[in-house]
Amino acid sequence: MLIDCTHRKWFLGSVAGLAVAAAVYISYSLHSPQGARPGSAMGLAYGIAGFLFMLFAGLLGARKKVPVWRVGRAQSWMRGHLWLGFLSFPLILFHGGFHFGGALTRMLMWLFVFVWVSGILGAALQHFMPRFQTAQLPMETIYEQIDRVRGQLAEEADQLVDETCSALEGEVSRASERQRAMSASAGTQGGLTVASGLQANQQVSTQLRQFLDDEMHPYLERAGAHAMSLGQGAQAQKMFQQFRVLLPPELHSNLDDLENICEEKRQLDKQSRLHLILHGWLLVHIPLSYALLLLGAVHAVVALKF
Amino acid sequence: MSSNPAAEIQITIDGRPISVPAGTTIFDAARVNGIAIPTLCHQQNENPVGVCRVCVVDIGQRVYAASCIRQVEPGMTVKTSTGPVQAARRTLVELLMSDHPAPCARQQQSGDCELERLADDAGIQEPRFPRRITPRGKDDSSTVIAVDHEACILCDRCVRGCDDIRNNWVLARRGKGYQAGIAFDNNLPMGESSCVSCGECMVSCPTGALTNKRVVGTQLGQGDVLDPAELLHLPIFENVSGTFLELNQKAVVKRHFKPGEIVCREGEFGSTAFYILEGKAEVFLSSPIAHVKTEGGSKGFFSKLQSLLAPREGDRRSEESDRPFIPIDASVDLPYDNPIAELNPGDMFGEMTCMSYYPRSATVRARTDCVMLEMLRNVLDILQRNKTFRAQLERNYRTRALDSHLRSVPVFKSLTQDFIDRLRDRVELLRFNPGQVICRQGDPADSFYLVRIGFVKVSEQRPGGELVLAYLARGGYFGEIALLSGIPRSATCTALDHVEVVRISGEDFQLMLDRFPEVRQKLEAIAQERIEENLRHTVQAQNVPVDQFLAQGLMEAQSLLVLDLDKCTRCDLCVRACADAHEGVSRLVREGLRFDKYLVATSCRQCRDPLCMVGCPVGSIRRRNTLEVIIEDWCIGCGLCATNCPYGNINLHPFPAELDDPAHPGHKIAGVQVKATSCDLCHDHAEPSCVYACPHDAAHRVNPPEFFAGLLAQPAPSKGRG
Repeated sequence: MLIDCTHRKWFLGSVAGLAVAAAVYISYSLHSPQGARPGSAMGLAYGIAGFLFMLFAGLLGARKKVPVWRVGRAQSWMRGHLWLGFLSFPLILFHGGFHFGGALTRMLMWLFVFVWVSGILGAALQHFMPRFQTAQLPMETIYEQIDRVRGQLAEEADQLVDETCSALEGEVSRASERQRAMSASAGTQGGLTVASGLQANQQVSTQLRQFLDDEMHPYLERAGAHAMSLGQGAQAQKMFQQFRVLLPPELHSNLDDLENICEEKRQLDKQSRLHLILHGWLLVHIPLSYALLLLGAVHAVVALKF
Repeated sequence: MSSNPAAEIQITIDGRPISVPAGTTIFDAARVNGIAIPTLCHQQNENPVGVCRVCVVDIGQRVYAASCIRQVEPGMTVKTSTGPVQAARRTLVELLMSDHPAPCARQQQSGDCELERLADDAGIQEPRFPRRITPRGKDDSSTVIAVDHEACILCDRCVRGCDDIRNNWVLARRGKGYQAGIAFDNNLPMGESSCVSCGECMVSCPTGALTNKRVVGTQLGQGDVLDPAELLHLPIFENVSGTFLELNQKAVVKRHFKPGEIVCREGEFGSTAFYILEGKAEVFLSSPIAHVKTEGGSKGFFSKLQSLLAPREGDRRSEESDRPFIPIDASVDLPYDNPIAELNPGDMFGEMTCMSYYPRSATVRARTDCVMLEMLRNVLDILQRNKTFRAQLERNYRTRALDSHLRSVPVFKSLTQDFIDRLRDRVELLRFNPGQVICRQGDPADSFYLVRIGFVKVSEQRPGGELVLAYLARGGYFGEIALLSGIPRSATCTALDHVEVVRISGEDFQLMLDRFPEVRQKLEAIAQERIEENLRHTVQAQNVPVDQFLAQGLMEAQSLLVLDLDKCTRCDLCVRACADAHEGVSRLVREGLRFDKYLVATSCRQCRDPLCMVGCPVGSIRRRNTLEVIIEDWCIGCGLCATNCPYGNINLHPFPAELDDPAHPGHKIAGVQVKATSCDLCHDHAEPSCVYACPHDAAHRVNPPEFFAGLLAQPAPSKGRG
């Protein structure tokens, strides 16, 4: 989510809330004879408020499971998640008086630190990454369809190489006819010239097919494959440039298409990587959040009962 | 000197003494005595005109005489094949061949081009004379006859066939010199002329100038092939050339159907039309008459949305059509409440399928033993142009369908029976070919039109080009704006396919307005809405002249689902929300063209030029006055709209339904009915689900010109330095 001026209200509300909470905390900790304690009325109030904010933030996951429920716009939930989740950490710190306490609370606090930091990291990623992705991936596709698109690219490459080789081989067979005609009428000199051109075309065709089998296919069929020559833009450009020299100009457009296919594959790989970065942090954030909420609830029950 | 017609005249032809009645031409005198004289412009069943001069003979005078028109005279000595005569003929043939595209279409089809045969006989390989440099062109507008003006030798055999033999008076001569040729009516393309496709011109033509168009790649599966003699016995083929029927022999078959047997099914693609000779058939819609309704969200706080089929009684949508009849491709309309009707001998159905290859609009089942003619497009075209058949078709329409057709248009629902009876004899049925203009912007208005068959494009000519205002299907009407306000036509109406319209004269229209003030009121309100809508289009078209915007068709869109890619984290919650809102079938795909930082998702755009509506065989897809697409209850799920949508924004959605059992008429079986669905903007809710469920504020439903106004106003970024 882009954190821009539309967040102003949430930002100001959070800052105000934090300022009030901090002011109250300072006053309470200074005036309390034993300092800030979690079990005091004020400490409990901070704990309850912080836990409620955490709960609300945690409910975003549930909200996303039922996107069509008319329980408030998902966008509002997300903003609440961001800002209240952010605010819950200082509240819990106020609740504990900046002490991590015993084993359970220490674990809870460390969990919270991870959840909070991963959340901030996630928010930062979601703020910056979409723009980066939009700029870097003009040929972006639906993430789940990347495998299928890769398959299509491989098929397309097959067709293009076939077409190019057929054109080259067609040239060979036409040249053979010319050669026969010329040999019959004009001696051998012209025939020899054509024959050398013939051989060259045949060789280029073989090389192109070999390139398809040895380089393009393995590259297009495997996800990632950054280490391969075609995975590097500059190297790929060199390889295609070599073929460009060998092929007649009328077949250069086919070569351009093949090069574009490799470029698209590079973009697909890049999209996979960026997608993992953009969503990978959730693998840490979500399980830890659940654990935090669960242990937080246990802590509340234990603390209040005993 | 007067001659006695009964008197016998003695002449000599090529040394043979011959006696023939006075008034006989030399050509006929030679022919009856077994002496062949070559000719091109003359044939036995036509009056001779002597224009080709190939039949010249030597009668001992200063110039050779054209034997086809020169009558015998007592003591005349005729030489038909002397060296000089043959040389003269050869020169004539050579001159004709110099302009002839050999081999012409006739020579290619059947090898019987008379000119090329004469040239062959004369041993002419390559004419000595230069070819004509100004082309006269071809005319491919007729469905059944190909016209190649290049191959025309101006023999006038077709003109005489059309005028003297058939008395159709369609063909005549046009132009002078090199531009001389044959013309249909006032030099119209043949398909747009009043030609009745009797085929006489084609069978009269000696060259490939008028040839039969063969039907390629379509075969009639079953049925008895009828020979031309049998066909000519049927009243509907009266006045059609026998030769023509012979050429199209396999394009029409006689089929027998037992009671209960299905003749054709709704939604199937076909290429034939049926004409009932004997028996009765019923035509009906077996698809449930209901639209796709999404419900649930507004009723229960936690209930999920569900898509189901609901008839309009149970779920009336805003601007839902209250048509009492469903238009189909037959001479009758089907009542909405009980969509079934009877077809009788003399009725035809499947015209739109046959002429424009639309899917079948309804299912037809034999009620009694039926005999029907099934025909391909070329035969149907002949029939539709045949005066006898046209008269019968019009009679059927006036007596059986005009009522329901008029009443199916909501504004005319209040017309009284006596007024409809008055119109019955006064309305005119007019046919138009694809691309033909029905009325032109700026022309004076003299009539009101109601679409009976096909699709009409309504467009306005603007300085920047043509702007499509609407597509009208059966039941649609046009021409009211100009008649109501007394101004010239405000738009051009063009036939998109084979169109038939009912023309109500300006006089009758005025009378209707005077007698039925409520009709006037409704028409005025609709005209006002149309004028305002056209104005909005025009303003928008003028305000957004950006190439890319136009190239992506965004200007055509009225509502776009755009995703701000700078905010979108590609979480796909919008797609999931759409799927959840519509029974697991998403109506949007998060892919499409990019415009700046926005992705235009694949979801209904509510186009201003809604191509999806062209071709719907039952006219069930239309738009509300807000231009939002609405799919009416009688959608038969043929999928043509989905195919026509250039953006892939219409889906077909299966629903469990009770369908007619084909094996047991009258019984129902559980089955699956497919209905077309497009984005309904989740109209039960204040906001579409996709937008509502986006947590990143990235998804928006927008009006493109408004939303992109700021972007479009920006100057293009400069490229390169300096």
